[in-house]
Amino acid sequence: METETLSHIVRDNYIIAKIRGEKGKLLERQQIHSLAEFRTQSEILGVLAEGSYGKELSELKEGSSPIETERAVRLGFARGVKTLISSSQGPARDFLLEFSRRFDAYDLAAIVVFKAQGKTWEEFVSTRQPLALLKEAELHRLYSMDDLRTIVGIVGDRALVNRVKGFSMEDLVGEKASLVRDIITGWGEERFYNYLNDKLGGFDRGSCLPIVGGTVDLANLIIILRSKLIGIPSVREHLISSSWKLHDRTIDQLLVAQDVTQALDLASSHPYYHRILSGARQKYEETKSLSFLEVASRKHSIHMSKRIFLGFPYTLGVILAFLVMKENEARNLAAIVAGVGAGMKPDQIRSLVAIPE
Amino acid sequence: MVDCATLTSVTLCPTFWAGLGGGLSVLLSAIGAGIGIGISGPAIAGAGVERPEVMFKTFIATILAEALAIYGLVVGLLSVFHITDALTLAGSVRIFAGGLTMGAAALGAGFGIGTSGSALAAATAEKPEIFSRAVITLILAEALAIYALVTALLLVLQAS
Repeated sequence: METETLSHIVRDNYIIAKIRGEKGKLLERQQIHSLAEFRTQSEILGVLAEGSYGKELSELKEGSSPIETERAVRLGFARGVKTLISSSQGPARDFLLEFSRRFDAYDLAAIVVFKAQGKTWEEFVSTRQPLALLKEAELHRLYSMDDLRTIVGIVGDRALVNRVKGFSMEDLVGEKASLVRDIITGWGEERFYNYLNDKLGGFDRGSCLPIVGGTVDLANLIIILRSKLIGIPSVREHLISSSWKLHDRTIDQLLVAQDVTQALDLASSHPYYHRILSGARQKYEETKSLSFLEVASRKHSIHMSKRIFLGFPYTLGVILAFLVMKENEARNLAAIVAGVGAGMKPDQIRSLVAIPE
Repeated sequence: MVDCATLTSVTLCPTFWAGLGGGLSVLLSAIGAGIGIGISGPAIAGAGVERPEVMFKTFIATILAEALAIYGLVVGLLSVFHITDALTLAGSVRIFAGGLTMGAAALGAGFGIGTSGSALAAATAEKPEIFSRAVITLILAEALAIYALVTALLLVLQAS
């Protein structure tokens, strides 16, 4: 038996049992479907009041906006992760902290996009993911800066600064803003992927890589497709340097594809990703948007997470699998609240959520 | 009568072998029970935090682990009761073998109960309805110690 496994059995069984208990309380497919049917936010809050987000939702005032409700859901997720961090020790704690560091990239991406859109600091703070490790004072300092590369250079590394070369805050509109957001969040995912590769071994590494590796690959795919959509010639400079199953040859083929539809055809014939990317071209042609890929990426992560839960229980993969499912649930709820708030139809809302099958 | 006072003659001393057997039985069984409780206990606590209603049911793992120490104690006490002037070297080696069998088996069973009890607590926290099926592995781990207990009792009781 490997040392890490023995360490998980002896040291991490508290947190693993806790995670299993929390997993049993995750919202089922049918419950998510039902929530999308509601017409008012208060109906949704009534259903969620008894669950794991109850504490944060109960603090909402009467007539709270969808943004406040989304934030309450995010706070509920963040509280759950922070509780896990405080009840863990050793490598499991390091792993959870590294998982939380991913959200620094999400904060950074949000700062850049919000600033480019001319939004205020208050608007940014009300929507940010509270799990990130960056302090609010530091974020506020970043928000007062105007140069994209300076902002990115403070939180990120040289690789990220090079990846956003050629962009400036002034020209970040529409798909270009989305591309920079994808580059920055992709860098966060890559950092976590590199941590798994460098610091973990054995079962731990083997169980986590399919989830995080898939996320990195699909992030790269989205960057390529978005670059094609905008018509950026030097796409390779913006790509994540790591990859899991999307090997260099495939990336080369995607880069030389003439347009988004051809690239999507290539991606959907990939031996590893064809399951989640089948019909991608049709979805793109129907919606003329790449947002379905984000949902596909989340669905892939959930699929992998469910497989991990069926396997050996004493690995860090079980912790990651739960966090992926919980994060997905929080995102689904945020999408439902936003969708209901915007008066969208249930079918439209369902297209925004990634539901485990 | 063998003189057990010197180191050279101690290997021929029935009291030494019988005492060692009884001591090992208690010691190794206690370690096994400790491992079982130590591994399953935190998982039961973790499961109880999320689902207090399953905590009482999952306590069965710690109870079964504690039983290992009792098996060891029974074999140990019986070994001590057999240490008399009439005890032969052959009889004392039986007691030693019985004690070692019980202790070593309890050590293994303790690890098995700990890990399967921990998994039982986690699984029951996730799906309380599977408890009655998941508990089977725990009982099978406990059975290992019961096999050793039967063998050890036969060995110890035939010692005199």
